[in-house]
Amino acid sequence: MLKEGFLGTAAPRYADVALLLEIAMGVALLIGAVLARMRRFRLHAWCQSAVVLLNLVVILVVMAPSFRVRIGPKIPAKLGQSYYALATAHAALGSVAEIGGLYILLAAGTNLLPQRFRMTEYKLWMRSVLVLWWIVLLLGLATYARWYTPHLFR
Amino acid sequence: MIRRIFYVLSIAATLVALLAGRPATRAAVTGVPPAAGVEVKIDNFTFTPATVTVAVGTVVTWTNRDDIPHTVVTEDKAIKSKALDTDEKFSYTFTTPGTYSYFCSIHPKMKGTVVVK
Repeated sequence: MLKEGFLGTAAPRYADVALLLEIAMGVALLIGAVLARMRRFRLHAWCQSAVVLLNLVVILVVMAPSFRVRIGPKIPAKLGQSYYALATAHAALGSVAEIGGLYILLAAGTNLLPQRFRMTEYKLWMRSVLVLWWIVLLLGLATYARWYTPHLFR
Repeated sequence: MIRRIFYVLSIAATLVALLAGRPATRAAVTGVPPAAGVEVKIDNFTFTPATVTVAVGTVVTWTNRDDIPHTVVTEDKAIKSKALDTDEKFSYTFTTPGTYSYFCSIHPKMKGTVVVK
């Protein structure tokens, strides 16, 4: 049987763990941005890379299976309902943010990409993905609240 | 440059949303609502009544009155509904005496019991 969560909502334990992890990762990305401002580029690279890769695991293990089972079969028919709309927006924008993070990791942190595929305006890309990441995080919080807190929307 | 980046991001977001959706192939409701039987209402993250006592052969129908999906599942998956949207029903005929504890697989704090005598 699914284990009950520990945050006092109707969520299962894995959803509470994912929520706290995502908040921690969002904060870690901000810390990583500060490290870049301090010109601690090596630490910055390790911090941001760890977050992007850990988030990929969370997406593959927790979020994608949940979306595929609960939301995928019901859209686009049910997109007028906030339960489905929030999750879909979170998934769509979150996928873009994660892909953007992986692209930055490859382009700025490795030599795997051919030169013509590498970005030249690092700051613009990184700041754009950071902003999008936090929009996705807020959508994720809204999705969690809609799915698991009985009294917020009544 | 900025316009190009946002254009690419918008196309990617649209593609992801389109790829994730697929038409429903099966209805969440199983069976036909019985002429007589017991109804359990699902509302406000609660099964009401939480415990029902029925005779062998009784059909129990769960009706979701909540504004988010719920399921009806037993630990051994002998009883397992699809995700029920608002106003959708799930029916099950209890043919064997016993105590059946079930829960919502989306919200595991939601629990109920059917006692079959």
